[in-house]
Amino acid sequence: MSLRSDSTDRDRTDRALVAAIESRDADALARLYDRHSARLLGLAYRILGETGEAEEVLQEVFLYAWRAASTFDPSRGSVLAWLIVVTRSRAIDRLRTRRASPGHDPGENDPLAELPAGDDVEGGSAAREWEALCRSAVSELPSEQRRVLELAYFEGLTHQEIAQRTGAPLGTVKTRIRLGLMKLRERMQPYWVRERNA
Amino acid sequence: MHSEKHEELLSLAALGVLSMGEEASEYERLLAEGCAECGELLSDLRLATSALAVAAAPRRPRRSLREEFLASLEPMRRPATRPARAAGWAFAAAAAVLFVIVALDDARLRRQREELRAQNSDLAERAEADRSELARRDLRARVFESDDVRMLFLGGQGPQPTARGKVFWSEKAKRGILVAGNLEPLPADRQYQLWVFVDGKPVDAGVFDVDPSGRALFESKDLAAVRTAQNFAVTVEPRGGLPQPSGPIVLLGSPQAS
Repeated sequence: MSLRSDSTDRDRTDRALVAAIESRDADALARLYDRHSARLLGLAYRILGETGEAEEVLQEVFLYAWRAASTFDPSRGSVLAWLIVVTRSRAIDRLRTRRASPGHDPGENDPLAELPAGDDVEGGSAAREWEALCRSAVSELPSEQRRVLELAYFEGLTHQEIAQRTGAPLGTVKTRIRLGLMKLRERMQPYWVRERNA
Repeated sequence: MHSEKHEELLSLAALGVLSMGEEASEYERLLAEGCAECGELLSDLRLATSALAVAAAPRRPRRSLREEFLASLEPMRRPATRPARAAGWAFAAAAAVLFVIVALDDARLRRQREELRAQNSDLAERAEADRSELARRDLRARVFESDDVRMLFLGGQGPQPTARGKVFWSEKAKRGILVAGNLEPLPADRQYQLWVFVDGKPVDAGVFDVDPSGRALFESKDLAAVRTAQNFAVTVEPRGGLPQPSGPIVLLGSPQAS
């Protein structure tokens, strides 16, 4: 499994499910939910830090998949990549709305906030290998590069806002973003090539 | 080999943090120049950003959440295709039955009346959806019949990263079609405007609105005059459009990906 649109059985299955969803097959949507909900909920929770809101985002994402399956474009990446983009966008929108309403404490009254994350996401060894590669690639980034990427990706901050938050010059922030993303790409390219040739 | 400047612009675009001023213009020029490697690098960098998401710890949703969600879809479940005519007859039949039932004041029949009202509404929705779908197919067919039809994918930008679109155009058919989804509804004084890039410069191709679900099917007559379209973009502009783009880019093509 990878995020690039590829010929793996896993992505072929996902694409077939999306095609079935487009023709209003709710069972296909249930299967897609089972395959990816844990990962997407993990992403929404990472951005929002609150289980209730993260669950609402998850529901919105799969409702969007139900209503807008026809907009999925396989040439731009895998089904999972598509769902990740939608999840991040919805969660960041909520985060920005929350920022505009001061006084909200995301961790307050969250009964599940301290629960450990699940680790049994549906998927085989290829999925686990891909996940491990992503974690390792991110953790191996120099901390200042990882920090700017995380501020942009999980908090939705612009490079100007990151410069203000970190106190680093704007040019330095842009350079760190470039170097960090190029390194992630470099680490993952061999996996993409291998999957394309599989 | 990419310059550091190109890598920086594409990195910011991949993360969705490109500013709408000078940076957006530079990015637009870069793509309009037809840099073949840039499209591939942008695609790779977008995937690299998604790896940040995969690296986040997964969380298994509670079982009841799944059941609640699937139950909420029940009213929307239906077969893939239904002929519009059949839906129309069914609609008329349901309406006639409803009329008779309304005249009777019986608890059982009142309950049936409510059920039929729901059915009626569902059938009307289906008929409307079928009519829209037929119109879409007819419009598309007129362009697709041309043997010179070309297509370009448009990706979400700036404030609307999840927007998607496709442009089909044909010189022979003298028309082009934009199919877009996940665009945000706009205030009444704003409209989306389609631009065609020729020699790196934007040419107005018309304004359009989106439906409540964020979808648009827009046929531009202006595209016939464009012989060498290099790229397409959609911006948010004052209602009626402007001669030159002034608002944020929300959809932009990547010619290498077509």
